[in-house]
Amino acid sequence: MLNYIIRRLIGAVPVILGVVAVVFILTTIVPGDPARLMVGQRGNPETIAKIRHEMGLDRPVMVQFVDFMKDALTFNLGRSYRNNMPVVQAILTRLPVTIKLAIFSMIIAVIIGVPLGIISAVKRYTWMDYSAMIFAILGISAPVFWVGLLAVVLFCKVLGWIPGTGLGNGELIYYVLPSIVLGVRPGALIARLTRSSMLETIRQDYIRTARAKGLAESIVIMKHALRNAMIPVVTVIGIETANLLSGVVVTEQIFSMPGLGRLSVEALLNRDFPVIRGTVLFMALLFVLANIIVDLSYPFFDPRIKYD
Amino acid sequence: MHRKKFVLLIALLFAVTTLAGCGQKAARQRGGEQQSPQQPSAEGSENILRMAIMANPRNLDPVFATDTSSSRIIYQIFETLVDYDKDGNVQPLLAESWDVSPDKKTYTFHLRKGVHFHKTVAGEPTTNGGREVTADDWVWTFNYILNPDTNSPRAYFLDMIKGYKDYQDKKTDHIAGISKVDDYTLKIEIDYPFAPFLSVLACNTFSVLPREDVEKYGKEQFNFHPVGTGPFKFEKWIQDDKIVLSRNDNYWQKDKNGNQLPYLDGLEFRVITDLAMEWTEFELGNVDQIEEVADPYYAEAKAKKGFQETAEPATYFYCFNLQKPPFKDNKALRQAFNYAIDRKALIDIVRNGRALPATGVLPPGIMGYDENIQPKYTYDLEKAKALLKEAGYPDGIKVELVYNTSDTHKSIAEALQAQLKNAGIDVSLKNIDWSALLDAADKMEIPFFRMGWTADYPDPDNFLYVLLNSANIGARGNYSGFNNKKFDELTNQARIEIDQAKRTELYKQAEAIAREEAPWLFIYHYTDHMLVQDYVKNAVKPFMGEYTMKYTQVKLEK
Repeated sequence: MLNYIIRRLIGAVPVILGVVAVVFILTTIVPGDPARLMVGQRGNPETIAKIRHEMGLDRPVMVQFVDFMKDALTFNLGRSYRNNMPVVQAILTRLPVTIKLAIFSMIIAVIIGVPLGIISAVKRYTWMDYSAMIFAILGISAPVFWVGLLAVVLFCKVLGWIPGTGLGNGELIYYVLPSIVLGVRPGALIARLTRSSMLETIRQDYIRTARAKGLAESIVIMKHALRNAMIPVVTVIGIETANLLSGVVVTEQIFSMPGLGRLSVEALLNRDFPVIRGTVLFMALLFVLANIIVDLSYPFFDPRIKYD
Repeated sequence: MHRKKFVLLIALLFAVTTLAGCGQKAARQRGGEQQSPQQPSAEGSENILRMAIMANPRNLDPVFATDTSSSRIIYQIFETLVDYDKDGNVQPLLAESWDVSPDKKTYTFHLRKGVHFHKTVAGEPTTNGGREVTADDWVWTFNYILNPDTNSPRAYFLDMIKGYKDYQDKKTDHIAGISKVDDYTLKIEIDYPFAPFLSVLACNTFSVLPREDVEKYGKEQFNFHPVGTGPFKFEKWIQDDKIVLSRNDNYWQKDKNGNQLPYLDGLEFRVITDLAMEWTEFELGNVDQIEEVADPYYAEAKAKKGFQETAEPATYFYCFNLQKPPFKDNKALRQAFNYAIDRKALIDIVRNGRALPATGVLPPGIMGYDENIQPKYTYDLEKAKALLKEAGYPDGIKVELVYNTSDTHKSIAEALQAQLKNAGIDVSLKNIDWSALLDAADKMEIPFFRMGWTADYPDPDNFLYVLLNSANIGARGNYSGFNNKKFDELTNQARIEIDQAKRTELYKQAEAIAREEAPWLFIYHYTDHMLVQDYVKNAVKPFMGEYTMKYTQVKLEK
C-alpha cells in the first residue's frame, strides 16, 4: 500500500507541473495588463511601466516561470497584485469556508443520494422508483442560481427560518441553505449512479446465492449488494468533493460566502496572476489527492482489489 | 485490514484539513493582515450601520486605491485638506482656511488644531499613539505620495507642484514646492496657476498619513492596517465577506449642539455581489443601506422614503478611434452616428429611465455645461442618412463595436445596434473583458468601443482636458485620439484661468468644438442613487456620487 501511495504521488508530480506550466503560459498570453488595471481607467504610462517592473512583468516569461516554480517549492506563491496579500494566505483564509461548505453539502448529497438510489433499484418500476428518478433529473437539471434564489426567498423571506446570507459571525446556521442547494446536484447524481450500479449488482450470482441461503433481504441489499455497488459511487463522491473544495462560484456568489470560487473568479477578472496560479495549483493538488484517496478506498468495498 | 487503513486515511485527511484551518488562523495572526484577535467594539452594537456593497475593495491604502469600492471605505478612515460640499464646491476639512497669492501660484493652508490620528487599528495600538496632526505630517505625506519609489497611480494629478519633475527624476530628495511655515500652516507652491488645484486636493489619494504607521507596515501591509484621522477606525477585514469600522472617539468634529461626532458606533460593509440578494437582504432588514438597486426592484425602491437619486458627474459614450479608418478625418460619419440614435428611447427602455440623454461631453452640474450648445444631437434618421452619404457611405457602413462584458453594456449595445441599423449602419458586437478593452484602447487598436467616465474631481478640466486634450492621447484618458489645435488651446488656457466667468466661457467653446467634431457617440449621463432604510437619518447623497458618502453625521433612529 505504501509503495503504491509513493508511486502515485511521484506520478502526480508531472501532472501538477504540467497544469501549472499551462496556466502560467495562458496567464502570460491572455490580453490585459495587471499593472494597467491597478492604476485605474486613467493612468500615467510612466507609472504603469514602473508598476509593471515592480511586479516583475517586464522580465522574460521563462525567467518568470523558473522563479515562480522555485518559490512554489518553498510554498511561496507570491503576493496578490490587488492587495498585496500573500497568495498562500489568501487561499488559507478562504479554505475553512470552502471546506465546511464542501463537507456539509457532500454529507447532504450522500444522505439523499444513496438511500434514494437503493430504494429506486430495489423497488424498480414502482412509484418510489419514478419519484426518486424525477427528483434526480430535476436535481441535475435545475440551475444552482435559480434553486439558490428560490431557497433564499422561501427560507429567509417567507418562512424566516434562516437569518440571511453571508457568514454572520460564523454561526453554522448560515451554512445550511448553501449546503442544501449545493448538495442537491451531487445528491441527484449519486442517486442515479447508486441505482444503476445496484441494479447491476443485484443480478449477480452471489446475490442469488445469498438469498438462497435464506438471508434477510435487508442484509442481502445492505451488506452484499450495496458494498459492491459502491465503487463507481465512491469515485463520483471523491471527484465531486474535490470539485466542491475547489470552489463553487455561483453558490458562493448567491449566498455571499467568501470561498475559493470567488477568489479565483475575482483573480481572473483582475488579472491577478499570482492568485490565479496559486488557486490552480491548489486545485490540481486537490484533484490528485482526491483521486488517490478514491483509489485507496476501493479495497474497502471490494476485497479482491489489492495494491500490495 | 484494508478497512482499518482506509479509516486511518480518512482520519488523517480530517486532521490535515483541521490543521489547515488552524494554520490559517496562525498565519493571520503572524501577518496581522486580516483581523485582530480581539473583537472590535463596534460589533454587537445596535448602533452600527450595515451596508451591502457589491465588491470586495481592492486596497484600503488611499495612496494606491483607484476604485470606488475602496474609496467608499477610505472616505471613512482618512481625511484630506479640503472636501466638496453637496453642490460640488470646495469646502474646508482639515484645512480651516487658506490664502492664495495674487499670482495664484502659492496656497497657504491654515490647518485645523486638535486633529488626531487614530489611536488603534485592528484593535491594536497604533505606533503614532493618537498624536496630533501638524504641518510636518502634511509635508511628509505629500513627499511620500509623490516619491517616485512609491509609485502612487495618482501622484501625477499633482504634477503642477513646484519641483515635481526634479523629485520624480530623483534630482532632489524632497519636493521643493511643499513646506511647513509653522506647526499649523502649510505652504504649497505650484508652477503655474491651476484653477482646479483645490478640487484635486480633495481626492482621497491626498489624505494625511501617520509616518510611523506607514513606515512600520510598509506599502505591503498598510492596506491591512489603514490609519488616518477620519470619523471611523479600521477594525477588521474578512476578505470577500465584510469590513468593520468602529467609531473614532477622538474625532475632532462636533455637531452644532456640541455633541461629539460621529453618532454611529461603527460601520459594517458586507460584500454581497448578487444584486437580487442585496435587495432581499435590504427587504429582510439585515442591511441598512445597499449600494445598487437592480432594475427589477427600481420602482419599488423609488417609492421608499430612503431613496435619493440625482445626476452624477459621469458620462457614458462610445469612442470613435480618430487615428484609424473609417472614423479618421470623417466628421460627417461620426455625426451621422450621433443623429442615428434615439437616446430617450434607449434610456426609457433599456435603462429604466435611470440616465439623462447626452449630446456632449460635460454632464449637468459641471461648469461649462449648457444644454443650448450646438449641435444638439436629436434623433433624426433623415439627417443621419444624409450625413452618411456625405461621409462617402451612401449604401451604409459595417463596423464592429467592442464593449466590455456586462449585462448592462450588452443590452445598450444591442439596442443601439438595432437603432443604427435603421440609418444603414450595420454594427456587429464583440465583448471582451475590461482589462483587455483597456489594453486595446491604450494601443488605439480598435475603431469603435465603449467607454465611460466618472469625474475624479468635479471640474470641466477632468472631462475636457483629460479626455480630449491631445496631451492625453492613450492611457492618460484621450482614448479617441482626438487632436484639435483650437480645442487644445482652449482647454490649456482654461486650466490656468482663475476668473470663473472666463473659464466657463472657455469651456463652453471647447465643449462646442467637441460636439461639432463628435469624437464620441454621446449616449447618456449617469444618474446615481442611494437607498437607505427609513430609520437612517442625515444620509445625504453627495455630489460626487453615493460612494463618496461620509457617515459622520448619520444616525439610526429605529
